[in-house]
Amino acid sequence: MGSTSQPSEAPRLALLQGTLDLILLRTLETMGPQHAYAIATRLEQVSGNQLRLNQGTLYPALVRLEQQGWISGEWRKTESNRDAKFYSITRSGRKALQEETGKWRRLSDLVEKLLCES
Amino acid sequence: MRIVKRVVARGLNLFLHASRDREMNREIDAHLRLLQDEFERKGMDPASARTAALRSFGSLEGTRESHREARSFMWAEQSLKDLRYAVRGLLRTPGFTTVAVLTLALAIGVNTALFTVYNSVALKSFPVHDAARVVRFERWFESHSQGRIQYAFSWPEFDYVRTRARGFRSLVAASWLAPVNQAKTAASTVAQFVSPNYFDALGVPLQAGRGFLADGPGERAIVVSARYWHRALGSDPGIVGHSLPLDGAVVTVIGITSESFTGTSVNPGVPDFWAPLSLQPVLMRGQSWFGQPTRRTLQILGRLDGSASTAPAQTEAELLIQQFATVHPDTDRTVHVTLPHTSYFPNVDDLRFRALAAGVMLIGGLILFVACANIGNMLLARGAARQREISSRMALGASAGRIVRQLLTESVVLASLGGAAGFAASLWTTRLLALELAANASLVGGDVAAVDLTPDFRVLIYAALISLASAVLFGLSPALRLASRDVASALKSDAGATGNSGRSRLRAWLMGAQVAVSIFLLASAGLLVRGMLRARNADTGFDSRGVFVLNADPGSYDDSPTAMASLKVAVAEKLRGRSEIDSVSIGGVPFTGTWTPPAIVDGAQSSTLGSYASHGYFETLGIAIVRGRDFTPAEGQNSAPLALVSESTARRLWPGKDPLGRQFTLDMNFKGQMKTFEVIGLVRDVRYSNLTRPDPAHVYIAGPGPASTVLIRSKASRETVARVFANLPESLVRNARALNLDDSFIAPMRRISDALAAISAALALLAVAIAGIGIFGVVSFLVGQRTREIGVRMALGANTAGILKGAVVQTLRPALVGSVCGIAMAACFSATLNSTLRFPGSFDLFYGVPFYDPVTFGAIVLFAALLAITASAVPARRAFRIDPASALRYE
Repeated sequence: MGSTSQPSEAPRLALLQGTLDLILLRTLETMGPQHAYAIATRLEQVSGNQLRLNQGTLYPALVRLEQQGWISGEWRKTESNRDAKFYSITRSGRKALQEETGKWRRLSDLVEKLLCES
Repeated sequence: MRIVKRVVARGLNLFLHASRDREMNREIDAHLRLLQDEFERKGMDPASARTAALRSFGSLEGTRESHREARSFMWAEQSLKDLRYAVRGLLRTPGFTTVAVLTLALAIGVNTALFTVYNSVALKSFPVHDAARVVRFERWFESHSQGRIQYAFSWPEFDYVRTRARGFRSLVAASWLAPVNQAKTAASTVAQFVSPNYFDALGVPLQAGRGFLADGPGERAIVVSARYWHRALGSDPGIVGHSLPLDGAVVTVIGITSESFTGTSVNPGVPDFWAPLSLQPVLMRGQSWFGQPTRRTLQILGRLDGSASTAPAQTEAELLIQQFATVHPDTDRTVHVTLPHTSYFPNVDDLRFRALAAGVMLIGGLILFVACANIGNMLLARGAARQREISSRMALGASAGRIVRQLLTESVVLASLGGAAGFAASLWTTRLLALELAANASLVGGDVAAVDLTPDFRVLIYAALISLASAVLFGLSPALRLASRDVASALKSDAGATGNSGRSRLRAWLMGAQVAVSIFLLASAGLLVRGMLRARNADTGFDSRGVFVLNADPGSYDDSPTAMASLKVAVAEKLRGRSEIDSVSIGGVPFTGTWTPPAIVDGAQSSTLGSYASHGYFETLGIAIVRGRDFTPAEGQNSAPLALVSESTARRLWPGKDPLGRQFTLDMNFKGQMKTFEVIGLVRDVRYSNLTRPDPAHVYIAGPGPASTVLIRSKASRETVARVFANLPESLVRNARALNLDDSFIAPMRRISDALAAISAALALLAVAIAGIGIFGVVSFLVGQRTREIGVRMALGANTAGILKGAVVQTLRPALVGSVCGIAMAACFSATLNSTLRFPGSFDLFYGVPFYDPVTFGAIVLFAALLAITASAVPARRAFRIDPASALRYE
């Protein structure tokens, strides 16, 4: 899904397939309604610039989540009085987040365990 | 659930393409604006902030593309684009589109109509409740006798099976349709006698009233058919509960079947009413079906138990029928019983039925082929004009696969339009056919008129499938051919100015094939039409006008051969000497069936048609006795070992010798019961077995044997004769009717052959018309395309003869080769048919027109030549008229 693109920076992480959806949901849950630009900025901040997205790559993920009914979009004004589409997590989105988080935890535990053993 | 939601959303987005794109762009713009704001806050000037924002965002077009991909189906979107493109392209060339769609509509319409009929006759299930579980009893004889008798069982047999079988939920018996007279008017009605559970067990749909009580005592009641209710009872809904006086009993009408119920009899037909079997001896006085173990008058239908498969039920049925036979032995043993599922036409495995269906479908298929070859050819020609467009698209990066897909989409659009129009046309045609059948019910027989020609889902699927198949058939090879062209050379050379040799070869093949098929159809139809013209005034060899046949039920319970014979003799005695009647005799009735016993002549095996005759038979029918003498009355009555033979029999059996006084031996029952006859007379050849040809051999043996009837010659009207017959004492015959040989036996056969020839001629003309349209269309299109080339050549000084040659050869050769192949195919076909004629009783489709008929084939050769000349004259004329100056300005 996401990828690094600027050659001058330190080595960065590429996102695992499917994790972007999870991260987007989580971000929207903690921060409330946000537009795509804010989400992208937030992701960069949180990752301490380890993760760098082409901001455009968020869009297919947002479309997917919206079609699944997990988030919903709405046009509003930003603080700087610009138009932007704000996404917020829906009730079924929260439920999905919970399930997906559980799955992710189990998976990462398993990977961790397997890596430690050897 | 999630997947479904997404699929729906994506599918929806296919159609909201533009608005979703707008929304996406707005969102991306807003995003860029915010990024730019951010960079400006960091101190950049607006222009470089904008650039930085764009860089940070990543590829705009890539985002848009992945956005689209995520929200919709790419392949479907492309297909929609192809579709729009195809429709636009077709709209740009309305002439081509109209011709192509019409051609397809005709071809698909004909095929769908044929299939509708086949579907109604052989595929539609029985018109009863849960027909999948209803089976019919069919028996297989040791003697391999086939036909209707395989479905016939006696009442005691039915009773035996019914009381013992466990594998069936219920068993139903139903008779063949039988005539029953009404009391006052003596009008004849047709009844079907059924076991009382008929309506309940089968679930026959009723529109009013009820069926018989399944377990009750025999009611004096009838259920009338919708048709009879309309025809004779004035569609009066109050008729239920009223009584109807029949000859023998007064019965109450208790129900009316629904309009759609087409009956369950083996030979299809709807009776006027259904009556319980217990009424049979009452309504058909003089004969009872009960207690006669070998009198087979009933068909048995069984409803299988819910879960039971056919196999155990079949084993059980076979066992019971064979057990019954050990108690009541019969001359012909039943070796197997099978339980086939039922359709309108019960015997779909019958070889003749299959051959007929295959033949008709083949003709339909050939017409479809001609249409497809036609459109394929036109697409190729059109492709020549579109070469530039296609080459440009390929140069711009479209893959060959993409181009093929796009061209095929065009074919599918054409085929769908043609298919839809064809389906509509077939609805109309079959409706017309149904009305025609209903209007002529008395001519074609109520049996045939009862067929329900409403199309169902099978017809729809069939039409869709053949449309799709034809799209591939006519679209694929032109598409492949066009897409495989070398891009560079195509762009350099001028569109259509030079012919592509591979393509023109394909075109020639297609043209040749369609000419061949059309000529084949035309030649075959020509032979049929010639045959029909002959049939109209075919000389039967006897004078049928004043001949009447006595059709009646025997007045005696005893149906042994000797009793029946003496009954006929007694009837003839009663009629003899009456003033209205010129001549009375007993003998076979022409066109009612054939008997071809094996014959031995001077130790050699042979076979011949045979029938019985009495004194005066030849006078009654008007068959001239050429030499020798007629039977004496005594010889006729006592089945003397004497015979008269036809002239062709004499030629066949005793070539070059005098037949009088010679002897031959017949196997009377196909089992070795031999009888030797002496020839006492020679008679003229007649068409006795069927109207299509004189009998190749026919012997008339003395005696009132089986399958012979009382025949009379009279100058009086049919009504008068009918009155005379009706006055015969009831101890001899009942329900007597007079049938005129001409009206009742010969006219229907002539009408059937008329219809057959008319239909085949119409189909052949259709094929020729389609091929003609195609050939002329393609040829004139090509010359149009080559205007520039011809103009250049003429400007360079080419002589017109050379140009003409080039233009003409291109069409003349395939037309000629195709014609020759078509004629050869037709000759093979008619020779094959001709070879089936060796058997004495077989039917000659061409009515004695020789299979190499010089008139037909001469006309066809002439026609083919004319076709080729006209086809090549079109390009020649157009090539002549080309003005080099304007031609060079052409593009």
